[in-house]
Amino acid sequence: MREKLLGFFAFSAGVGILVLGLRFFNWLPLMVQVDSLREYQDVEEVKAALPIETIFAPSYFPQNLSWPPSRILAQGRPFPAVVMEFEKTAGKDIMLLISQSTSEEFLPEEKIKIIDVIESVSYPVKGRNALLRVGVCQRNEPCSGITWKEGQYTIHVLAKSTPFELIKIAESMLR
Amino acid sequence: MEFSALLNSYPGSYIVQSFSHSVVAAFVVEIAIKAWGIRNPTVRQRFLLVIIVFPIFSYPVYQIINPQRSSISFRLNALLDSSRWLDMELWGVVPVRYGFFLVFFLTAVIFFFQELVPILRHTYASRGSEISGERAEEHPGIAQALKDLPVEKTDIYVLEDDDVVLFSTTGRKGSIYLSSGLLGILDREQVRAAVAHEFAHVIRSRRPFLVILFLLRILMFYNPVVLMEFRRIVQEDEKICDDFAVSLTRNPLALADALRTLYVTEEEERPGRPKNIMNEMEDLETYSHRLNILGRIARLEKGTANTGDKGWFAIVLTLGVVFVMNYFIV
Repeated sequence: MREKLLGFFAFSAGVGILVLGLRFFNWLPLMVQVDSLREYQDVEEVKAALPIETIFAPSYFPQNLSWPPSRILAQGRPFPAVVMEFEKTAGKDIMLLISQSTSEEFLPEEKIKIIDVIESVSYPVKGRNALLRVGVCQRNEPCSGITWKEGQYTIHVLAKSTPFELIKIAESMLR
Repeated sequence: MEFSALLNSYPGSYIVQSFSHSVVAAFVVEIAIKAWGIRNPTVRQRFLLVIIVFPIFSYPVYQIINPQRSSISFRLNALLDSSRWLDMELWGVVPVRYGFFLVFFLTAVIFFFQELVPILRHTYASRGSEISGERAEEHPGIAQALKDLPVEKTDIYVLEDDDVVLFSTTGRKGSIYLSSGLLGILDREQVRAAVAHEFAHVIRSRRPFLVILFLLRILMFYNPVVLMEFRRIVQEDEKICDDFAVSLTRNPLALADALRTLYVTEEEERPGRPKNIMNEMEDLETYSHRLNILGRIARLEKGTANTGDKGWFAIVLTLGVVFVMNYFIV
């Protein structure tokens, strides 16, 4: 029994060291490669750290959303990408998600995911040909998303709101 | 499709994560074996099985538990996000992911030529040809040596050959073959021990366990950790057969002496042999085989056969830790 217990302590210590080793191994690439995916405090910080000159942010903002973004994620490699999440004014729910990326495959929609698309139509946004999707998200909440190409970037805007509100937000991102 | 998109696809994620999961499982298993001082080869084999079998199922099971496990949010809070390493570029030019996939490719090649082809060839050869030899019962020296050994359900043949030959065929009707050359260099007790060891292989090959394990192992053909750990399982199997032989003959020293006589030769100097990677690899393999044999001899001489409990507590705990830790490794 004593041997078993000692073995248990030795095993726990070994696993603890392994966890620390894995944490270090996870941190190392961030130190070596500064432009890998990480969290930033604000848009200016992203611009200073990564070669992304234009970050598309809306000038129109519904009252129920809080500014600045609650979280900004960005990377320079393997392809440039920025993700901004906006919370509800009262609460912690993510209500708006904006992503821009040079990869067409990049769609970080885990926080707002249209589970059931009710309608998917082409919609012009200030002369750009966009794809508007209207449907239902998790917990049966109505939500909508719009996607278009802006130069080298593919832009996705997803919101837990009506398509009218979403279009206003999307149009305010463009001149 | 971009290469990074391929990595983020289901098959790409499966390959990458099964590799990461087997690395972590190997570390945890090694810690457990050291912490509890597990020496029993049967128990050690059970631990090593975790490294082979777990990564086959881990990724799909985790994805069923949490489909959002591959999301950016999950990755940012993960214990280890493999994409950070795969997306890295050495000196801003060479993507690390190519290095990973080169390792996977080389592992697949090694598996194909060193494991799969020899097994298929052996299976084909043993089906197509009959090896003729004198039955052990009709050979006066052997019949005397094997008296009292409970090997009556296995056919044992003596081949007229001056070379040292000792092997068994597997399957439901496994047989043992030894040569007259072998009988010339081993004494009676050593022959008994050697045949008892081969008999253990025949008995073990009748169980479907090893076949199922090999079929599972094939699924991880690209995984270098599984390649190494499967070889360790095979080495542990030799120790299990040693223990089985000792339980029949009650003479561990005879088996140790037989191993020494058969496999531990003086290291030969081969002048004029060109130094190239193939020769170096061959030397390394011979050296590792020699170390393995010496380890088995030392074990038999020390008498550290099956001791201790079955290690179920340690295995269950290890499996639990492997499962929880790997959930956070994406």
